[in-house]
Order: sequence, then structure tokens, then C-alpha cells
Amino acid sequence: MVSSKATLLKSFFKDISFSEEQEETFLSAWQEYSFKQNELITEAGSLEKKFYVVVDGVQAIYLLNQRGEKVVLGFSYAGSPSGIFDSFIHQKPADTFLEALKPSTLLGISRSDYLGFFENNPDFDKWAHHFFRDILFGRLFREVELLTLSAEERYIAFMQRCPEALKVIPQKYLASYLNMKPETFSRLRASVLY
Amino acid sequence: MARLILTPEHQIQRLNSILNKVAPLQQRSAESLTTAPPKSWNVLEVLAHLSIALKTYDAKIEKALDEVKDATTGSWSFKARVWPRFVIEGQRPKDKKRPFKIKTLKRFEPILPSEDFSKATVDLVFKEFLTSYGNLKSVITESRTKQMRHPTFSSAIGPIVKFYLPEAFEFLICHAERHMLQIDEILASQD
Repeated sequence: MVSSKATLLKSFFKDISFSEEQEETFLSAWQEYSFKQNELITEAGSLEKKFYVVVDGVQAIYLLNQRGEKVVLGFSYAGSPSGIFDSFIHQKPADTFLEALKPSTLLGISRSDYLGFFENNPDFDKWAHHFFRDILFGRLFREVELLTLSAEERYIAFMQRCPEALKVIPQKYLASYLNMKPETFSRLRASVLY
Repeated sequence: MARLILTPEHQIQRLNSILNKVAPLQQRSAESLTTAPPKSWNVLEVLAHLSIALKTYDAKIEKALDEVKDATTGSWSFKARVWPRFVIEGQRPKDKKRPFKIKTLKRFEPILPSEDFSKATVDLVFKEFLTSYGNLKSVITESRTKQMRHPTFSSAIGPIVKFYLPEAFEFLICHAERHMLQIDEILASQD
């Protein structure tokens, strides 16, 4: 594995101590996957086979409402995890899509390798504790924002904290994520400073 | 009639549901797959019919796909026209029920050996169905980033109904969804 990829993975799993042999096994389990812009990485109704860490690009996770419209639940980007985690763990068809909004490179591991790490190294349990705690707090924070802030406040809060990579994806995805119409997002982008 | 906006993602998701429903049926006994209620097809005949129906569109879809250009604005979203929408809605299940029965044209009737449903026949019917509807999903996926501008093509019932690709995809999926309900009814009759 190229050293930059090893650096990315060791940074992502930073709480974990490896012996030399464990590290070699760990790094060799990851494969690199490339996706074109707009390519579906995982389809709703299919099984998620990988847990990903993003090397490059932006991906959106979304589901379809009853009218078949996309409802964006979140994004992944360089350095963040990606994939449809519930489908990956439970091996049931995904309810959501994962789409590459920009050309993307992801490192992925199979479910058996992922679960094997937990069996062979107790440090993974500590990592998982912090990882899922941060995800839970992030989702709770987002829920509070959606329920309590106005559209303009949501726009400002998001634009102030989001990575630059997210600011160049199609507006309709950002608008959906912020639970507003594309026209509202466009108007705010033109008139509100953040 | 309300607007009908078609998207490839919605169609892919529903095709996955159909494929996920049919694949496990292979585990059922030959008796279950070949037993039909009165005046009905059995499960194998339903699947064979769906494969025949899809095959009539293969060349037309392929030709239309050759004619469309790449899009620069992401995946397509297509508003179905009035007459195709009427035909599509005639197929679409309502509240998990088939709104009314439709007489099958002779050329779409499945022709399977009436008594000898061997394992080879069963395997062939499933293989044809899963391959053809898997291909349909691949075609829809391939079309996602194309502009849906091309000459319309006649439906399987003739030029009285002409389709753009998204409309043909939707018609075929609604037709398959309708027959998935028929499979449910056939299997329920065996319980």
C-alpha cells in the first residue's frame, strides 16, 4: 500500500496500536476503488459490501421519498468514513444510495475483514466507542439544527463549518441536506454573507 | 392526473426490489413453482412472461441508447407525457393490488412444457429472468448521465403508444411490479 494511503488509514484509526505484523495485515486488507462523477457506489436495494475511508472526492448518501425525490442525509469527503453502514453490518438491502458527486477514490474493506479486526485487536473496540459517539453527537446536533433554526440560520451554520470541497457540489444536494428548496438555497447563496 | 416525474434512481431501487424478491424463489420446490390457482399462471409462467415482455424492447432500447448524448447536469429527471403516463398508470399496482386484470396478447403468453417442469426448465426460466432484468438495471444505470433526447419508439403493442426511454423503463418496471403481486397471490393460494 502506498505510504500516503497508509498514513490516511493510520490517522483514521489513530487510537489503535498495532504490532508490525498486525499493521501489515491491517493495511493489506484495504483496496482502492475509483468512481466517476455521478457513479452510484451503492444502490438502494443492494447490499453494501464495503466500509470505506475517503481518499478523495465527495459522495452523497440519500434516500428517495414517496414521490421518488432525493432526500440527502449526508456527505462524505476526504478523510471521512463512507458507505451504507446499516446494510454493511446487517447484510440487508440498503435503503439509501451512495453516489460520487465528484470523481472519487475510496479505500474499502470487506465485512469479514472489518469484523476480524475487532476480534483480533481490542483497541478496535475503543476506536469504535469514540467513532460512533462522534457520529451520534453529530447526528443529534444536525437534528437540533433542523428543528430549531430558520432556513437562513441553517444555511449560515452549514456554510461556516463545511469543508471547501462541499461548497462546489450541485446546489440541489446542499439544499436537500439543509431541508430547503433549491430556489431558497440559491437566494440565500446570492444574498447572505457568512 | 398528477404529474409523473421519472428518475433512474427510483427505477433502479424498484428493480433491485424485484430482483431481491425473485432470486429467493429459486429455493422453492418445483411443485410450488408450477402449481397455479384456477385460470391463472404458475410462478414459472409469470417469470417467463416477464422475460418475453422485456425481450420485445431490447433492440428498441439499445437503438435509443445509441442515439442519446452525454449530459453535463448529472442524472436525468423526466416528466412522462400524457398518453404514455396513462398507459404506465394502467400497469402500476395501486395499494399493493392489481387495479384490474388485463388480457395478455397471444405473443406474450409463456410457452413452457405443460407437464414436464424439469429442474433444467426451472433453472432456465430463472436464469433468463434474472439476466434480462439485471441487464435492464444496467441499461438504466448507463442511461443516468445521458440526455433523454431521442426519437420515440413504438411500444410492444404498436405505434399507438410511443415511448421515450424513461417511459419505457417505467412501463416495464410497473408491469413487473404488477406481476410480482400476481406471484404473491399464487403463493398465498398454496398456503
